[in-house]
Amino acid sequence: MSYRSTDVDILDEDQLFQKDLFTFAGGLELEPDVALKNVQAKGVDVRNFLTRGNTEKALTTAIENPPYGSNTTDAKDQNTKIVMEVLNSIKATDIPSIVKNLTLEQQDVLMKYIYRGMASPELYNSAVLLNWHEKLTEVAGVGCIVRVTTDRRTV
Amino acid sequence: MKKMLLSLKMSPTEIHQLNLGPITAHAFNKDRSQVAICPNNNEVHVYQKSGKGWNLIHALAEHDKLVTSIDWAPESNQLVTCSQDRNAYVWTFDSVTNKWKPTLVLLRINRAATFVRWSPNENKFAVASGARCIAICYFDEENDWWTSKHLKKPIRSTVLSLDWHPNNVLLAAGCADFKARVFSAFVKGVDQKPPPTPWGDKLPFNTICGEFSNDSSGWIHSVSFSPSGDALAFSGHDSQICIVYAGGETQNIRTSSLPYLSLLWITEEKLIAAGHDCVPVLFEKQGQQWRFSKVIDVGKKKVVTEATVFNRFQDWDSKGIREGSKEIELNTIHQNTITSIRPYQGSRHDISNISSSGIDGKLVVWDLK
Repeated sequence: MSYRSTDVDILDEDQLFQKDLFTFAGGLELEPDVALKNVQAKGVDVRNFLTRGNTEKALTTAIENPPYGSNTTDAKDQNTKIVMEVLNSIKATDIPSIVKNLTLEQQDVLMKYIYRGMASPELYNSAVLLNWHEKLTEVAGVGCIVRVTTDRRTV
Repeated sequence: MKKMLLSLKMSPTEIHQLNLGPITAHAFNKDRSQVAICPNNNEVHVYQKSGKGWNLIHALAEHDKLVTSIDWAPESNQLVTCSQDRNAYVWTFDSVTNKWKPTLVLLRINRAATFVRWSPNENKFAVASGARCIAICYFDEENDWWTSKHLKKPIRSTVLSLDWHPNNVLLAAGCADFKARVFSAFVKGVDQKPPPTPWGDKLPFNTICGEFSNDSSGWIHSVSFSPSGDALAFSGHDSQICIVYAGGETQNIRTSSLPYLSLLWITEEKLIAAGHDCVPVLFEKQGQQWRFSKVIDVGKKKVVTEATVFNRFQDWDSKGIREGSKEIELNTIHQNTITSIRPYQGSRHDISNISSSGIDGKLVVWDLK
């Protein structure tokens, strides 16, 4: 009965692997601990901006250079926490003006974090995120949301 | 080789509801008096224009499964259709018996065919398929049949759309592996050696003249060469349109709308895109920068009618509308995604009218001027 243990998939020559289809940054991936260190350093900067009251700079620093990669999960979780802190500390009345000043790239990354946050309602405040989502969609449109769903570089 | 379409009388936007369900593909003949559509089944219906409407004159039923794409060669008047049954047929019109005669083309693919287009000189056609290859088919005089050669490497997923370069040799392909590529489909014996283009010089069959992708990796739904062939535009599922100049720069337009499924250059500086937003949209090159210009469909003005009590109850009963005019209809001509836009009138360098068909079963001819 050895045929039951034969893996037919490896014998299929037409098989498509993840690496054939898509690689992060052309094959150069960050080591998970390097990514984590970067994110922690970023966290310090962000907290400084927040205490000084510079919420806009805090947000742009938090969403800059997200730790994309296939095994940087710790860094990603940490970065999400930082972004959520910033989003929660910005007053609702400031949101429209801050969102308008973001570049298209930054808007896409922010939308990714909003969805990431909404995926864990037990950890993060969904009402705040919904408000951010509404204001961001007014400026960036549904194309931004489509890019969040199709982009393989997840946060 | 400029193909001049007959200049017909300018007409306002024409709307034809040819099917209750989706129209999968459409193709006009040379003088726009006939149109072939696939009404979302395994048949191809040919309509003849009569007055303001269309009459069904032929129903071509040879395919076993959904016909995914149709192309009508303007000069040789041959139809080519491809289907999910892994086949393609070339149809020739026999004026003696007044019937379309099909000729099977052996594509040798083991998955559905998704897209087919005649080459500019109509001596070849390319069929895109889910078998991760493109079949370039040409007529073999010796054996009196259509035979095919495959473009395989390095395609890693379904090929979704194709476009021929005006030199009859280069072919652009948009794939579900997030890349748009320019291939050389030079067939010895059928093609003359083409003059050098910005895309490359020596071009044996299956040379990759360029491979492009956009950063957020979406399936490439549509590719289109500019009228001169020096630039390639492609639209991805990530709502981005990329325009690449051969050997030069790439420009990325991040749109704030839903993805576009079909692109068409109308001049060297203007591009029409249509897709899930149900309206054709114009992109223009202003100076050195490409940007969104305007939406072609101006939208219907909402008609405010006297709401008599009888009408209100009638609406409630038949349409489920309780108060006023709740929107169950989109404010645009197309009520659902536009899947295909094709040139209707004008030369390759200056298209004045386009035709579009979509999932709502409408065939619309737009006047762009």
